[in-house]
Amino acid sequence: MTQFIIRRLLQSIPTLIGASIVIFLIFALAPGDYVTRQLENPKMTEERAAQLRALYGLDKPLPERYVSWATGLLKGDLGDSLMFRKPVVQVINDFIWNSFILGVAIMFFEWLIASIVGIYSAIRQYSVFDTIATLLVFILYSLPSFFLGLVMLKIFAVDHRWFPLGGMITTGSNYTGWAYIVDVAKHMVLPVATLTLISVGGLSRYFRANMLEVIKQDYIRTARAKGLKERTVIFKHALRNALLPLITLFTLELPSLFAGAMITERIYNWPGIGKVVLEAIYVRDYPLFLGYTMLITVLTILANILADVLYGVADPRVRLK
Amino acid sequence: MLRKKWLLLVVTLLFVLSVFLTSCGKTETQTPQQSQEQKTTPTASVKDSDNWTKAKDPSKIPEASKSRTDTLIIGLHEPAGVFNPLFYETAYDAYVLSAIFDGLIEVDLDGTYIPSLAKSWDINKENNTVTFHLRDDVKFSDGTPLTAKDVEFSYYVVADPTYDGPYDISTAGIKGFKEYHDGNADKIEGIKVIDDHTIQIALEKVLGTSLADLRITVIPQHYYGKNFAKGKLEGVKSLEQQPLGSGPYVFEKFVPGQEVRLVANEKYWKGAPKIKNLIFKTTTDATAVQMLQTGETDYETTNIAAKKDNVELLESLGFVDYALLPTNGYGYIAFNFYQPKFQDVRVRKALTYGLNRKAVVDAVYQGLAEVRDVPQSKVSWAYPDEKDIIHYDYNPEKAKQLLDEAGWKLGSDGYRYKDGQKFTIHFLASSPNVVNDALIPVAVENYKQLGIEFIAEPMEFNLILKKIKENKNDWDMYFMAWGLSAEPDPYNIFATNGSQNRTGYSNPKVDELLVKGREELDMNKRKEIYHELYKVLNDDLPYIFMYQRNDLNAKSCRVVGFQISSFRDFTSSLYQAEILQY
Repeated sequence: MTQFIIRRLLQSIPTLIGASIVIFLIFALAPGDYVTRQLENPKMTEERAAQLRALYGLDKPLPERYVSWATGLLKGDLGDSLMFRKPVVQVINDFIWNSFILGVAIMFFEWLIASIVGIYSAIRQYSVFDTIATLLVFILYSLPSFFLGLVMLKIFAVDHRWFPLGGMITTGSNYTGWAYIVDVAKHMVLPVATLTLISVGGLSRYFRANMLEVIKQDYIRTARAKGLKERTVIFKHALRNALLPLITLFTLELPSLFAGAMITERIYNWPGIGKVVLEAIYVRDYPLFLGYTMLITVLTILANILADVLYGVADPRVRLK
Repeated sequence: MLRKKWLLLVVTLLFVLSVFLTSCGKTETQTPQQSQEQKTTPTASVKDSDNWTKAKDPSKIPEASKSRTDTLIIGLHEPAGVFNPLFYETAYDAYVLSAIFDGLIEVDLDGTYIPSLAKSWDINKENNTVTFHLRDDVKFSDGTPLTAKDVEFSYYVVADPTYDGPYDISTAGIKGFKEYHDGNADKIEGIKVIDDHTIQIALEKVLGTSLADLRITVIPQHYYGKNFAKGKLEGVKSLEQQPLGSGPYVFEKFVPGQEVRLVANEKYWKGAPKIKNLIFKTTTDATAVQMLQTGETDYETTNIAAKKDNVELLESLGFVDYALLPTNGYGYIAFNFYQPKFQDVRVRKALTYGLNRKAVVDAVYQGLAEVRDVPQSKVSWAYPDEKDIIHYDYNPEKAKQLLDEAGWKLGSDGYRYKDGQKFTIHFLASSPNVVNDALIPVAVENYKQLGIEFIAEPMEFNLILKKIKENKNDWDMYFMAWGLSAEPDPYNIFATNGSQNRTGYSNPKVDELLVKGREELDMNKRKEIYHELYKVLNDDLPYIFMYQRNDLNAKSCRVVGFQISSFRDFTSSLYQAEILQY
């Protein structure tokens, strides 16, 4: 097992180098840079633009820029964000945890609701519940997040002022400890509800499909034939086997906890990383965007390894060599 | 069996929907009961400027905001948190900074310069010097007096060879600047501190624009300048999270992505602000109006687009004052003067007469933007008399006639030809862009009527800038907008060698007037020169001038004292604003 992990980690090094080159090139070759934007100012002169490019190191040839960025990366230095004028690590640290807590809450409710709906739909296939659930889930699944987000805001924050209109804390508040947690939780309700409702659709279908497949297996029939209680059959014999493929799905979803939700964060004014990165792309703040993308790349590679390991642990038929 | 289930489903869905709809409907009829028990209206010592449309029903002020008796919350697009007035990167940081710092001079409501930290200034034409006389009663918020040394220090920061902030002091032409910036000089010859409250700047040549070029926000040397030497700005930059200035408010706390908290500077030299706490809260265009509606913010700027829908919505709230201010800027369609066809002024005029600009502008701004025929703001002192300029109202007949005169004859296929060349326009359309969305269909249709093929190529904004710069031949026109400021001089844009003249426009008469306008110091004479210049530009059409839109400021009527205009934003009124206790 340890050997397997070490080998996989070593194998991921060339992947990372390749990824870093591709990411860098895509961004560096896109037209315009941080200074281009400032040409919108009528007082800007070519000389000043050239000076600024030199100060930001944007005037150097691409290979040189890549090497200096990549060597910084190896030392854990992602450079300075141009827009925020502070180290990229610090900017990411300022925002990513806000996205993370939102992501964790959404993931929790998403899996909880999807499993209940999916399993129940499967064991009562074609029942009224199954039909309605299927329909509802597809309606929600097809709603764009900005639309559902705005509708939720209109109903629950403007018409009935049950929840705040956005942000993460009450403006001007100085809560600490428990009061702070309650305050943040209140602000989380609507964004979490929006994203959970939208994402629950896909996942509940996975649960349903997997359960249906397992229920048809011979060993389930055997279990029933033995006279086991339906409850035991479903939860002990069927569910455990149905969960296996979902382990991979779950693990691969982990990096997205850190990725932020660009559109929803914007609508709910949530101070997350997604919103910040979107802005970074617009203004061509390349150190920030590159740093963020590399972080997500690393997390994705790690999640892949983790998925393989966990699968091996859960399913004795899979051997890791 | 199956059909029965579907029926059930449809019934359930209808039920769910009806519950939704009725609950929405109910809430909208709830409001009017409260308005009866009105007490006496509180009054303010400083009134709002006249350009505010006042609220009709103050009783509708949301309870949530009423309880906030000593805190003003201003909704703003997200500040990035670079809190140094010489280094900020976004306009939103600039708003926050103008509450914490003061400038040497200020812009008045009408766009002219008025004293601020400098109580007066002398411009000497013979010696080419500008002398600023500073107030002697100004203290930074830590109690240290502000002196000419601080002004000198601020100039040295922006003149540093490693300086990468928004100022470009090189344009001022300070004596000895080049030697300092590009050479070995360790002092700037032209900056001289005469005494504690007098600083003299010697220039290569004093111009009408010198005052605008020398405008600077003053930062304290004793605080920012500890390790400062030429080429070493690290010390100044390291304090971007702890700003210290002489402005009406003092920085307290920044919560990234959420809010900036400030408290009143009790020692402010214009008098202590009447509102104790000031918070800039991050809001977005998606919910800015709702923020006001629920009382989570008191003032919204930049986030509410000046559209009829939004104005109607604000009016329906009852307690909201709003002001529509002409934006400092204009939209235009550029001609590529490297293409011979655009050298003929008759062609440019035909393309202007032949385009229904009003239809485009109304489609985008719903009547809240005006078509312009000169590249200047209507409210600027440099704007010419409307009677003196040509108004290119939509007139396809005139356009056709002009094209005929210019030698572009209709061919048998319905398109115009000259010397065997078909009249085609390759339009670079930045996308996404709301104006282009409306402009392109109208232009295709209008120009086809004239016998011109209009081909739009959508692409990203940055790509267009690159294309214009690198390739002079494969494009004809593009739509963009320019920003304007209180100083009207458009030299960079329209002079033959102007740094932002991207289209190859050149007109000796324009060049001459631009130089004259720059070199004249007398305001009244400058006015005449610019009126003349804009008349020439209006007739010569370097661009198809499109429109000037509006900016929308909106606030709860419980806060008053905001004297604002296109040139002077709400931050200049913060020290005098107050909260009425309803």
